[in-house]
Amino acid sequence: MLFSSVTFLYWFLPAVVLLYYCVPRPRGSLLGRNLLLFVASVVFYAWGEPLYIVIMLSQACVGWLSGLLIERFRARPAAKALLVASVVVELSALLVFKYTDFFVANLNALLHTELGLLALALPLGISFYTFQILSYTIDLYRNKVRVQRNPLYFATYVTLFPQLVAGPIVRYAHIEAQLTGRRHSLVGFASGVRRFCVGLGKKVLIANTLGSLVSVAQDNVTAGTLVAPDGAVLPMGEQSLLFAALFLVAFSFQIYFDFSGYSDMALGLGRIFGFEFPENFNYPLAARSLTDFWRRWHMSMSSWFRDYVYIPLGGNRVGVLRHTTNILIVWMVTGLWHGAGWNFVCWGLFMAAFLIAEKHFLGRVLARAPAALAHLYLFVLVALSWILFESPDLGAAGATVLALVGAGSAGIAGPVSWYYLCSYAVVLVIAAVGCTSLPARCIAGITARAGRPGRLVRAVAEPLMLGALLVIVTAFVVDGSFNPFIYFRF
Amino acid sequence: MSARNHTTPAGRPDGIEHLRIGLTLAVFVLVVGGFALLGLLMPRQALIASERRAPAELPEISQDAVLSARFMHGFEGYAADGFPLREALRTARAAFVLDVFMLGDKDGLYEHDGSMGRFEPLDAAAVLRAADGIERMNAMLTENVAELRLFCAVVPDKSIYEPRGYPGFDPELAKRLLAARLPGLTHIDLSASLGAGDYYRTDLHWNQAALADGSIGAPGALEALSAALGCDERLDRSFTEHYAGEFAGVYPGQLALPVAPEALVYCTNPVIDAATASYLDPQAATFVEGPLYSLSGAAGRDPYDLFLCGAQPVVRLDNPLATTDRELLVFRDSFASSLAPLLLSGYKRVTLVDLRYIDYRLVPEHIELKPGTDVLFLYSSQTLNDPSVLHAG
Repeated sequence: MLFSSVTFLYWFLPAVVLLYYCVPRPRGSLLGRNLLLFVASVVFYAWGEPLYIVIMLSQACVGWLSGLLIERFRARPAAKALLVASVVVELSALLVFKYTDFFVANLNALLHTELGLLALALPLGISFYTFQILSYTIDLYRNKVRVQRNPLYFATYVTLFPQLVAGPIVRYAHIEAQLTGRRHSLVGFASGVRRFCVGLGKKVLIANTLGSLVSVAQDNVTAGTLVAPDGAVLPMGEQSLLFAALFLVAFSFQIYFDFSGYSDMALGLGRIFGFEFPENFNYPLAARSLTDFWRRWHMSMSSWFRDYVYIPLGGNRVGVLRHTTNILIVWMVTGLWHGAGWNFVCWGLFMAAFLIAEKHFLGRVLARAPAALAHLYLFVLVALSWILFESPDLGAAGATVLALVGAGSAGIAGPVSWYYLCSYAVVLVIAAVGCTSLPARCIAGITARAGRPGRLVRAVAEPLMLGALLVIVTAFVVDGSFNPFIYFRF
Repeated sequence: MSARNHTTPAGRPDGIEHLRIGLTLAVFVLVVGGFALLGLLMPRQALIASERRAPAELPEISQDAVLSARFMHGFEGYAADGFPLREALRTARAAFVLDVFMLGDKDGLYEHDGSMGRFEPLDAAAVLRAADGIERMNAMLTENVAELRLFCAVVPDKSIYEPRGYPGFDPELAKRLLAARLPGLTHIDLSASLGAGDYYRTDLHWNQAALADGSIGAPGALEALSAALGCDERLDRSFTEHYAGEFAGVYPGQLALPVAPEALVYCTNPVIDAATASYLDPQAATFVEGPLYSLSGAAGRDPYDLFLCGAQPVVRLDNPLATTDRELLVFRDSFASSLAPLLLSGYKRVTLVDLRYIDYRLVPEHIELKPGTDVLFLYSSQTLNDPSVLHAG
């Protein structure tokens, strides 16, 4: 189920919130409310993936049982063996569904064999909930969390619908205490509503609108040619520099507003139900270096790879060569996490190359450079990286690069790209301003300067604006214009 | 957006914060709860008039439908179609997209100075598939009858005449592709003979009254077409206009923007008045006589059905006042419905075949093709861009 759908907003959400707050809490026990959240989460997941619910519950079951056994054999060699077994089983599900066809296709290409592909549909959110389960078993083994003996509480953690299919990757340690003792308050609820509405607006109004531009621009740039019956080679789209630039700039904003919008909605929904999830974005496109960018973008994923892959490999407390190798490994794995394709591997290595360069010399240069130049460097770099990330294959990536250097069939610009630039100019400006902290700082500054009257105006205006936002988002959703969330496919 | 910015020394929200929280919750409950409740209580419409379609029905609930997620996918359409104040919300979206975001179009739909339309770039592969279909039809005709005079023309989409430069269907490229794939046909270029004024403001179709009035467009699509077909000298251009009612085309509904309706006008002359129209009844495989202009069609769901009773597989127009034995066979989409009566004075019989409603292999059973007949393939850019609608093999 999509958050930006009529079914979720006007059927599922009101029903679940209403039922949730009707469930009593005898002696403060959250058993009933957790049970309701678990059932709601199963319905939420099954709404889009009815059969794959079995996979998710099986993985949750393995994680829970592994936890019990690791605790049972704590401080004995068996605990380590159990942890390894648990990690292997959890990752196997991910490997089978996500990577089998990638390996088979490469094997076929390498050995000239014709092994059949499985062509399995990817279970929604498998990359996210697998990592959540792994965080539990690994942290339990490391004695950082306590064992969860109640299967319902553990299943609630794994399946929790606000963050189930597209993150943030909530580690068990983050909400261990909240599963049994979270506070419910009107303050939290209202804060959750605010966050949810803002996220919904980011996703539906900005990301989806830019999604149309991305689609048109990418189609034109990568359209290829057609040999007409008279032998003439005709370009199937306008392959121009302007279109390639529009594609990359618009996609940079689209993916940010899409994914950070989803994270806002997840955090907001969490607060509505009394949870406090970790932040996942901190204005990443306003960063001044790639190192800074990755501290602000999908923070729950980058910190997961840091704590569970990079540091166990030795992190930076090793020699230069080993350290460089560690970075390359982590970013290759990060690339593969995003998708089973060489383009994702190349994207990860592209990131690694610049991160290594920034560690050794580029970082110092950027620190001394004017802020505008550093921001421009980061934005251009990130935008260029999407060529690898978003291209369906390396051929399409090549076509985008050709267009970007003005070597496409339409050269610098054509009438179609010009039309779309003019058409989307306002949205692009809104997105450019909206991806920085400027609007939030402006509102906070004005309110602070205006004192009590300013706070009073804000106290009235903000809810009204949220209401208007909710209505206009509803208009977009009802008119059938929503796109699937980009991060669902990971 | 911290929830705990303004608190009393005891750590509780102060009065203003209380107001902010209370209003936030009230607005949320009002919007979400209100729409949810209205959705449950309000009766569902039997027809979505603006989009000329029935709303999606509640999908059947069965084990198979649930396990395959068919029920869930269908439910979203059901919920969206039955949403309270749906039309007002769709209008709000259109206004927001066009006036706040200032986009040039909403999903390809545009509104400019009261003229509405939808642009769609040419799909070269689709145009070539359409050409293949035409070629199959053509081969079947020429196999049985010799000396056919074959023509092909594309009706350009009106978006290309708008001053805003919408990236619509390129008729030049279409002509080039069709000419290369169909070298045995004479290709007629209508794009220079038409202008924005030749189309309805609110609909995709061209306006018969504008086509009949040679003063609009230079030199006029009717002239260009009749000259290419060689019937221009026989054409009776003394048309009389008749008002058939108000007309709001497909675009106000699709765009969800209110617009003043325009006049639906049809043209007659002595030839049209004396003509008979026969429509193929596919079930009985016989022709049934009917009106050339259907006033009941004009009052129906799609007023453009005024012309030749709307969707028809085969229509025969006979001209008892004809001074020639020449006949015209038109393979067409809906654009030809309003054009054919204007051409009738140039022929003894005009037969129109719409391959969207009849398989091309059945066509010979229902037409009487004579040597020397003019055969015109007249398709709009919409059909050429989606030839899958044609049952042409």
